[in-house]
Amino acid sequence: MTTEAQAAAPREHPWRMPANWWTRNRRYFLYVVREFTVVPIAAWLLWMLLEIKRADGGPAHYYPPSSTAFVVFSVIVLLFSLYHSFTFLSLAGVIIHVKVLDRPVPSRLIVLSQFALWAVASVVVGFVLIWFAR
Amino acid sequence: MSIRKDVLPIDGEVGRRPGGARRVAYPHLIYWFLFAQGGVVAALLVPVHVLIQGILGPLGIVPVVDRHYDTWVAMLGNPIVKLYLLVLIAVPFFHIAHRVRYLLTDFGVKSAKSLPAQIISYGGAVVITLITIWVLLTTVPIKLG
Amino acid sequence: MADKRITIQTTRYDPDKDEKPRLQSYEIPFYDDSMVVLDALNYIKSNVDGSLSYRWSCRMGICGSCGMMVNGTPKLSCSAFLRDYWPRPIVVEPLNNFPVIRDLVIDMDDFMQKLKSIRPWIIRKQEIPLGAGAHYQTNEQIDDFRQFSECINCMLCYAACPVYGLNNEFLGPAAIALARRYNLDSRDQGLKQRLPVIADNEGVWECSFVGECSVVCPKGVDPAKAIQQTKLDTTMRFILPYGNRD
Repeated sequence: MTTEAQAAAPREHPWRMPANWWTRNRRYFLYVVREFTVVPIAAWLLWMLLEIKRADGGPAHYYPPSSTAFVVFSVIVLLFSLYHSFTFLSLAGVIIHVKVLDRPVPSRLIVLSQFALWAVASVVVGFVLIWFAR
Repeated sequence: MSIRKDVLPIDGEVGRRPGGARRVAYPHLIYWFLFAQGGVVAALLVPVHVLIQGILGPLGIVPVVDRHYDTWVAMLGNPIVKLYLLVLIAVPFFHIAHRVRYLLTDFGVKSAKSLPAQIISYGGAVVITLITIWVLLTTVPIKLG
Repeated sequence: MADKRITIQTTRYDPDKDEKPRLQSYEIPFYDDSMVVLDALNYIKSNVDGSLSYRWSCRMGICGSCGMMVNGTPKLSCSAFLRDYWPRPIVVEPLNNFPVIRDLVIDMDDFMQKLKSIRPWIIRKQEIPLGAGAHYQTNEQIDDFRQFSECINCMLCYAACPVYGLNNEFLGPAAIALARRYNLDSRDQGLKQRLPVIADNEGVWECSFVGECSVVCPKGVDPAKAIQQTKLDTTMRFILPYGNRD
């Protein structure tokens, strides 16, 4: 557009994104919750790092965490990490596209395979964590 | 004048964005790849650890390897365990860094998209990776068998 | 039986007179259960206030002209039935995330430029001579991209996308889905030309998979899927050294 045309053209009303956009719709809100799940996960992983470091102090200084506060913290983290896993693995079904014998694999099957993988990994890790505590 | 000056007329050169030629943004490609890997690790492995080490163990419902010094140390000496713990702890931080950066943008913090923000967030994940390596190497020497 | 009436609250903005847009209320007869928001707007324009401005054309959900916010959700006004909202008032506003030219009419220049930027046509390295005849495709080859070809360019996905709302530089759902439509077309050889547009730093990487674009799409294009698959394909193309390249 020439400058004369621009000068003659009427004024558009510009778009401004409202700061509370993510509260206006249930799906936007759940999206923010989904993104936020990484914060409790980060906190827990850092705890894990500390838990490893604490083995350095020798048996006299080692005590496993038992406080109610810690269990409450873990419950909160578990809820967020479960939501993270459910959403991440479900959405992986949308992203992953494979063809078997020239036919696309239905996304439901792919999602199912992700959840199956999750179940197997959890059983294996759970077993190791419990079995070697004997 | 609030007519958008940065939008070219339709009959202008196809797709030429003011500011120069377009090219594949390889850093973003790498960030996304690391985000995806970290997401897989966190999604598959974190919940069971939280459930067992964070809830069932402290409540005494099941015996857990980190409830006693000797079992915990025996586990931590194993090099495969050290490798597993490196993956479990460090890789998700690239996922975490990516999501935190994007979440901040969603809340209107435009600087979260800037290069310094990228360096701080993914660089932070690298730092945590290095710290994790250091902790795993210095806590409980490697014992085979 | 009393005549049914319904209240429509619609945005009015005259750039010559108004400082900013405002809502104006109209109470109109709801004379037929098949009435849609577009019918209501047409009634207002014909009988109450001829100055109301809005885009529409086919009135049957295929032209993509009549996109607007209906009670905060991007919808085609020809496909939003009054009976789903009555007796409560219906708020009709111009599509989110776009500048408003007047009343319910938004500036779509940015959208048009983005569509064009991804080169939405068959690109061949070597043109097939006319004498060689038709370029055949199997049904399976068409199925590969069929879904992404259903886009009617209605911009509801852009109105739904918070990333676009926060950053107008983002290439956006429809443009990326259209690019994928061509990249997946067996007749097309233009992936390399489109890649610098769809995978630059305002391209697919800006998307954080909110997914609202696919929720509001009236044609089931699933642009969110197109974007995520583009991210994956582009990444694999870079990471796998010899596989997956043209």
